Amino acid sequence: MLALVAWVMVDVAVVGAGQTRYGNHALGLKGMWAEAARSAFSSIDGDFDVKSVDEAYIGSLAFGGAQLGNTAALLTEHSDMEGVPVRRVENACASSGFAFRDAWMAIKSGQADIVVAGGIEKMNDLTPERRRYWLGVSGDTEWERLAGLTFPGTYALMARRYFHEFDASHDDLVHVTVKNHLHGSLNPLAHIQKEVSFEKAASGFMVADPLTLYDCCPTSDGASCVVLAADHVAKRMTDTPVWVRGSGAASDHLALHDRPSITQLKATQTAGRKAYEMANLKPRDIDIAEVHDCFTIAEVLATEDLGFAERGHGGRFAREGQGVINQGSVAVNASGGLKSKGHPLGATGTGQVVEVFKQLRGQVESQRQVKDAEVGLTHNVGGSGATCAVHVFGRDRP
Amino acid sequence: MTEEVWMGYLVDHCTNYTVVQSPFVLGEERVFGADSDATTLSVAAILHRLQHDAIASVAVPDGIDADTVSTACNVHVWDEESEAGPEWDLLLSEEAIIVLARPGADVEISVMDMAVEVDRPFHEAILTAWEMELNTLHVSQGAYVSQAQYVEAASSRLSLSGQIGANGPVWPPRYSAHGPVNGNGVHKLTPNGHVLSWTTLSAAGSPSEFSLRAPLLGGVSTVLLELTDGPNGVFLIVDDEEPELSMDAPMELVVRRIYAQEGFIRYGLKARPMSA
Repeated sequence: MLALVAWVMVDVAVVGAGQTRYGNHALGLKGMWAEAARSAFSSIDGDFDVKSVDEAYIGSLAFGGAQLGNTAALLTEHSDMEGVPVRRVENACASSGFAFRDAWMAIKSGQADIVVAGGIEKMNDLTPERRRYWLGVSGDTEWERLAGLTFPGTYALMARRYFHEFDASHDDLVHVTVKNHLHGSLNPLAHIQKEVSFEKAASGFMVADPLTLYDCCPTSDGASCVVLAADHVAKRMTDTPVWVRGSGAASDHLALHDRPSITQLKATQTAGRKAYEMANLKPRDIDIAEVHDCFTIAEVLATEDLGFAERGHGGRFAREGQGVINQGSVAVNASGGLKSKGHPLGATGTGQVVEVFKQLRGQVESQRQVKDAEVGLTHNVGGSGATCAVHVFGRDRP
Repeated sequence: MTEEVWMGYLVDHCTNYTVVQSPFVLGEERVFGADSDATTLSVAAILHRLQHDAIASVAVPDGIDADTVSTACNVHVWDEESEAGPEWDLLLSEEAIIVLARPGADVEISVMDMAVEVDRPFHEAILTAWEMELNTLHVSQGAYVSQAQYVEAASSRLSLSGQIGANGPVWPPRYSAHGPVNGNGVHKLTPNGHVLSWTTLSAAGSPSEFSLRAPLLGGVSTVLLELTDGPNGVFLIVDDEEPELSMDAPMELVVRRIYAQEGFIRYGLKARPMSA
């Protein structure tokens, strides 16, 4: 009976987090993972021995196929975690969002005290032909891909339909671009550290109409790593843990055409609702949200699906600058988001956790720091919304 | 004789035969459009004839994909071993013209006024691209839809075979842990619908299966349709037309080439504006 009570009561904290810079990285898989792990481990300011890690979950699409099988074992070998039970988690772009959730569940279950979750992708060492192959493999291959769709096309279908159904236009997407480039320009770990003007972002090369190059995230290399701990060990690892207040996840039809609506992501709505309920918090309580803006329209939809804007008002939310750091109701993608910070597919989910961890501890660059940030949220989407993991974090223990 | 545009092709319809011609010409010669061939013209010919006559069997010569014809049109392909002769013959031409005729019918191929002159370099480049794509040595870097996987879904891809679910028609067909949802058997959906959304991917952003032809075509265009019978689907726009699309515009689905891999052409339904 006592054991059962202990299992129910365990709380989980993030005690360390780090990442590589995202971008066109000189290092390969092993080197990038080692750098991210070193960054995460060194961020733990109390007692920590890497040999005390009980489990590890590493998200990756294994883009490029450099190490398709047993990727995770190769990576633990190069981060002093030999012997740790490890596995690769694959849910397309949501791989490490789910790796994080798996790590959280391992501790929640009482089977582990200290768990590593991370993600990695190496995307820039491929020929353009090989890169295009991998960019289109996470939709419904049999129907969507043979209808000529890769994800720019899928999200373009969503965007055009959104403009038709609601009071919105491509200008609203341009506001997302401008904001996220502004945030990214302040982030030394971002892939694109450069502001972009409204005029320039509005006139980019058409990739999949109505989406231009400025509506699309870059192709990034990178790795991210976080260390989670049970409450009874977290307190000796750091004085400033960031608590996991809520975890939600869901799935939806893989193919866009099987969904009743293409202007909302049901998986995001469900995952968000579960995470909010577990955290006993509302969207208005969130100070900083790292949302999955693989394309600008995805951020507009996310702000609605996560409850920051009413349905159909995501365009206006962007237009009014409500996601700008210390300006609007919630700082959306203070890191620059996938759009500017970058999107190394498997690394993105835990990379979002790295940003929220630092923001809630007041450890990011001063211009980017969200004032008095108490509660943060991460939102990681696989494909065009087939999988989604949402996590809510707080400085206060649940 | 009646002449009309049917599924993007020109059709002469007579009592004993149907002639289907490509609208494209190169000099004096009818040539195939960018994703058309003798098989796609044959499908159009049979589907047109089926509006007027039942077809018990069709003799399909070499050069036409009999499986695609049979699946797309739901007709029996005549077997040389059978005692009875075919009810209809498909006849090939040296040009992009197909004739579906009753055996022994006296066929006259009329000269049709409608002719769209194609650009010779473009036409030759497309032919070369298909030739390369069809070469068994050419292995696309694209996601793999094996021949077996293609065949499994061929009737859904070519003739909109779906299912009847609790809330109406279901397409593409689905599996369930409780068995297929098609308790009422196979349901053929009507091959038309209206536009919910659309896009054109640049050649650089399109799937690599299309990498040889997309640069020539200026990208790859896709439309999301709500089919008349209810389900939604995504379809390529036919390669040889550049329609002005708009929300709710009516579209029809026609059989065209999609892509080739390992010497095997994948055919499927593509969208074009509804014929008047």
